[in-house]
Amino acid sequence: MAAGLKTVILLSFVLAIGFLLIILSCALWQNWLPLIVALTFVLAPLPNAIFSHCGNSDDFGSSDTNPAADFGRFLTSCVVITGFALPLVLAHAEVIHPTASAMSIVGGGLVYGTILAYSAVFKTDSEEF
Amino acid sequence: MSLPRSQYDPRRVCVIPFNFESIPIFRKKRSLGVYVSGLLFGLAHWIFLDAAVLSAHAHPPPDAPYDTVPIHITFLDWIPGICSTLGLLIVNLVNKEQLIGEGGSFGSGEGGFVWRVRLFLFFGFALMAGGLAGSVCVLVLKYIVPQFDDYLYYGYANVAQNVLVMLSAIVLWIAQNTHDDDEYNYQLTL
Repeated sequence: MAAGLKTVILLSFVLAIGFLLIILSCALWQNWLPLIVALTFVLAPLPNAIFSHCGNSDDFGSSDTNPAADFGRFLTSCVVITGFALPLVLAHAEVIHPTASAMSIVGGGLVYGTILAYSAVFKTDSEEF
Repeated sequence: MSLPRSQYDPRRVCVIPFNFESIPIFRKKRSLGVYVSGLLFGLAHWIFLDAAVLSAHAHPPPDAPYDTVPIHITFLDWIPGICSTLGLLIVNLVNKEQLIGEGGSFGSGEGGFVWRVRLFLFFGFALMAGGLAGSVCVLVLKYIVPQFDDYLYYGYANVAQNVLVMLSAIVLWIAQNTHDDDEYNYQLTL
């Protein structure tokens, strides 16, 4: 369990660094638009989580031919690309500073990576036991 | 003396020496395809939205700071993208298994049904192709011919959007006809 505890602590540190980067990218330039990136990345796994639970009542039974799960995956990757594209678009239109854009992308990537890694670790743990 | 059992399907024309199945992510072909498709779809719309946001925040040219910006992205530029997206929706709402199973389980009595499915599919493809053609049309007629050379990016972004939506539809189509963890079903049915 010690390894699991270490993983949780490490992931929480990475999550905190990600949020720190996003909030810094907002606060240093007094422009709070990059905060949308944090919201986007937090919302990104949500369609996958919702749609993977529905549509399992068809007689195929297997989840890999499930249109609802596919739609969830489609929406998830759309939201993820939104998180990366939004700061770039804002920087391109000179609404936010390019450095703020880079910081919020890195921070958002850390936040999303944390969510992915956490769900992966959690999934392997539940399969072992 | 018997030959050793071949490691590959002898019907294959090209034998790829690298085994893609050894990488775990390539075993989830269907999920991967859907993810890539969504990625392309999001990228397409963000490229166009980038041009739209840029147009809304456009500064006048630096040598004439009191001029107005000569051209903006209007609803006209949005039409090809809307057509393409509708086409993608229609094409992927059609149940392809019914279309492929035309000769088998669906007899001649269901001919009208297959005909309607095919018409629907044709309508979707026509919308996508129309969107692509329309975006090229907008690029040429709105930006190249009147020589708005500084604003060509708006037109190119429009074309890129429609090309990417089409690619997304193709990837989604292929992904829907493949199955995870199914070595006998790797052939893509088009």
